[in-house]
Amino acid sequence: MDPVERLYLDAMMEDPQVPARSLRPQLLAGARARRRPAAPTAAWAQPYAGRVAAMDALLTSAVDDDWSRVIVEGWTLQELVAHLAAKDGLLAAAVGAPVLGPPLGATDSMGRTSDVQAYERARSPEQTRRDWRAQADALCRHLADLPPTTPATMDGMEVPVRDHLLARCLETWIHTADAARTARLRLPDPVPDHIHPTADLCARLLPWTMLLSGMDGSGRTLHLTLTGAGGGEWQVPLGVEDARPGTPDAHITADVVAFCFLLGGRGEPAEFPAELAGDLALARDVLTAAPALSGP
Amino acid sequence: MPVEAPYDDRLLHQRVVGGDESALGEVYDRLSSLIFGLALRVTRDRVIAEDITQEVFLVFWERPLAYDPERGTLRAWLATIAHRRAVDHVRAEERRRVSALGPRLFEREPDRLEDTVLASDEAKRVRQAVTSLPDGLREAVELAYFGGRTYRQVSEELGVPEGTAKSRIRLALRRLADALAEEEV
Repeated sequence: MDPVERLYLDAMMEDPQVPARSLRPQLLAGARARRRPAAPTAAWAQPYAGRVAAMDALLTSAVDDDWSRVIVEGWTLQELVAHLAAKDGLLAAAVGAPVLGPPLGATDSMGRTSDVQAYERARSPEQTRRDWRAQADALCRHLADLPPTTPATMDGMEVPVRDHLLARCLETWIHTADAARTARLRLPDPVPDHIHPTADLCARLLPWTMLLSGMDGSGRTLHLTLTGAGGGEWQVPLGVEDARPGTPDAHITADVVAFCFLLGGRGEPAEFPAELAGDLALARDVLTAAPALSGP
Repeated sequence: MPVEAPYDDRLLHQRVVGGDESALGEVYDRLSSLIFGLALRVTRDRVIAEDITQEVFLVFWERPLAYDPERGTLRAWLATIAHRRAVDHVRAEERRRVSALGPRLFEREPDRLEDTVLASDEAKRVRQAVTSLPDGLREAVELAYFGGRTYRQVSEELGVPEGTAKSRIRLALRRLADALAEEEV
């Protein structure tokens, strides 16, 4: 803002006045009608509920052309939203929450994605958006009463429901960023309290990304420092069978958001901005393997 | 020159994007009297000013990605929306009054060019208003806004106590606000 504009606004705002009555209750009621807040849910599910609300905020601004624009994987925005709904629905099925959309046939991610995309293509983008949001909110409501350690099997993986949900959180975040980039909008990061558990999941996935990439990290330990709001330090045993971390063999220091995105398949491991120390070959292997679990 | 928003603004923005209603309440508590005061100065109508205030915060809630903290403070962004809406209201009122007399007398093209002209008109009016301030007030305001000085630096350059510098700037702002509001309606 130039000085004249700032001066003008400051001058206009001198002697602040107060409305005759507080508009606050009316404002919050009106706000709910305009845009749904994040679904109420268990504390551990809030990072996911927050990313759903952020995606929905992005979709509010989408106009007709935006919905048919290809975002990622050759999918339009409408197909991308259907993909998110499909995977949320699979997790819902795994924990006994309502599954919305077409009847459950295929139970693998890609199969269910094709089913939901075929179903949603016959509907308007606005309907697709509503279906996706309804599925996400139904999941959140169901999770409100579920212990985070409840085992759940999705796509053949049995892990505590909390980890499946953090993976949904990361995927929703990443696809929102994909859509924002296409729309030339700047997407703010989640709040630090939501980034931290997501980064923790990413750190804990490293032994699996090593295994899937055919690299043997067993018996080795990584000291991971993730900087920025929501970051922290992790001692990560790099073998899936390792009971506990040992003395760190390698160190990686990187930005927490960039690291989450690397695990989510956004970013080139070879060019990933990070400080490496200790066993450099091992540190590079960790980065190279990082995107191994990311799918569409 | 773009000014980045402070950390508080960024966090509130992140929370609103994430659908946290209580963050909207906090933004309202912090900025509603400024926004309302601004709308009231321009419209001179408490009911309209309340409506505009509501609408400004609702826009932020519904389309939070329209605000970009890299480009300025939340306060300035909300104030800009409030100001634009208030001016639109006053113009629509004028138009309504004029068209009651004869519809052909008043035609306006609501195009970009007009906005540009308006912006430079406003800048000119602000400069004129600053020029017509008494010397002591004018110097203080010029140093603070056009010279980018802090209160302390203004007090040093003018050789007056810091409290005096502060009150001169505030008094100057009040005079300017009155002068600008006079012309607005």
